[in-house]
Amino acid sequence: MSTGTNTIWVRRPTAPPAGDVSAPTFRLERPLTGLTIGLRTDRAWRSWQLIASVWEEYLRRDGAQTIAVETGAQIGQPASGDRKQIDEFAGQVDAAIVGLGTCGSCTTFTIKDAVTVEEHEKPVVAIVCEEFTVHAHNVARHVGHSDMNVLVLPYPLEARPTEELQQIARDYYPKVLELLGVTV
Amino acid sequence: MTLASERVEIPADALLQYELSLENHWGDGVPMLPATDDAVGALLAASPYPADHVVCVLPPVNGVATVELVAINAAMAGVEPAAFGLVLAALEAISEPEWNAFGLTTTTSSVFPMLIVNGPCRDDLGIDYRASCMGGAGGRGSMTIGRAVALCLRNIGGQRAGETTKSVFGQPARFGFCIGEWEERSPWPSLAQRRGFAADDDVVTVHGGKGTFPMADIHNDDPRDLLYLIAKSIAYPLANMYLGNVENGEVVVAFNPMWAERFGVAFPDADDLAAYLQTNAWQPIDLWPETNAELLRNRGRVDGHGRVHLVERPDQIVPIVCGGLGSLHAIALPSFGESTMQSKRVVRSS
Repeated sequence: MSTGTNTIWVRRPTAPPAGDVSAPTFRLERPLTGLTIGLRTDRAWRSWQLIASVWEEYLRRDGAQTIAVETGAQIGQPASGDRKQIDEFAGQVDAAIVGLGTCGSCTTFTIKDAVTVEEHEKPVVAIVCEEFTVHAHNVARHVGHSDMNVLVLPYPLEARPTEELQQIARDYYPKVLELLGVTV
Repeated sequence: MTLASERVEIPADALLQYELSLENHWGDGVPMLPATDDAVGALLAASPYPADHVVCVLPPVNGVATVELVAINAAMAGVEPAAFGLVLAALEAISEPEWNAFGLTTTTSSVFPMLIVNGPCRDDLGIDYRASCMGGAGGRGSMTIGRAVALCLRNIGGQRAGETTKSVFGQPARFGFCIGEWEERSPWPSLAQRRGFAADDDVVTVHGGKGTFPMADIHNDDPRDLLYLIAKSIAYPLANMYLGNVENGEVVVAFNPMWAERFGVAFPDADDLAAYLQTNAWQPIDLWPETNAELLRNRGRVDGHGRVHLVERPDQIVPIVCGGLGSLHAIALPSFGESTMQSKRVVRSS
């Protein structure tokens, strides 16, 4: 397919970019009292378990009920169980907090599980660490949920003292409520 | 033949082509061949599927891998038409849900698709299975098929180091990893046969491997002793399989033909050999510091004897035979854990 001595024609090897479509997001637009808020943790991350436990305590303090689920698998029977549990969880809660994205694949599965909550037309916030922010938004965009709420925590969380993690939990709690659309 | 992909005018000069590929992020940093219509057409002519057939959707960006797009990338890698079916089979395997492509293409781990080929095509296509088969032998099939799959993951799946793929170190296999099994020197049925395929099928098995983990011994000729040491070696305390679920993932263990012959005498059945390896692939819970040990105990990973097994079942340890006749060495391809190897028969055009 030569067009001359200095150039040739080739075919572009890249796939066309995915359309930037986004599924709707949802907001509570009401106070926490009487609501059921879900917390999804991942058994891999003890720092996140601690932060989630602080938030769970605050949510109860502020009048909400909470449901906590823990995931830990990406394939096989354990993963089937995890995804079924997330689907049931999404059906039970009024809104959910889903984390933690602090590695490549766990960020991917954090976003996927947050998508499940949005598919139930519930408000959700995906929790990721700073290093994985772009990746989280990329995954959300590639699965058609570009506008998903993503809350970015400092990175790394691992190896921080308990007191510091508790302070991070305190500092970021108001932002979680804001992203879920909780009103005073 | 009418192609749907965009035509791009590029310099005819090879060095300028290389520089353009770097600028456009079309490659892996190594010079490539131009995907001319003639080159792409030759591959499509060897495909059992039409150009617009969708092979799979590749993460992380969910790019649609049509046969045509795969052929373009295969042409750039230098795949010969007779080998194109192996590229398609590998991509089909990768896209099986239990291979967990979304997880493996985005993880911080070094894991990447490692292709193991069985069947009569190995010699014709230059699939390396003898000396230096895991790097350096330079067979065209091994070098181009693995690279074509890697290019598809980049150009169709959108893998970009540090952006869409978070792999902390990467690994040499990200340039492409494709080996054959030296079936003729194996005392056991081939990997493909053990996975239900016929001896005359050409089969590609894709393993999510974290790297090549070398083992060596010159002191002990007893097959059980050697296998015991191999089992202990693959059960290293920071293996991924101690992080996740004991029932997921496989470790591939490549034996050189000399050792394989010795092991075959002690274990004529490959399942028995795998069972022996699984039985001995454990470490004492006391090996781990208390923080790790507590987690392993909480996850039920410690048996009544204080042992923490690497894997739950014998079929999670997968022996293959390849490599040179220099003996002395084995290589493990450690698992990501959350991935199950997949095999696909190569479909030829009729």
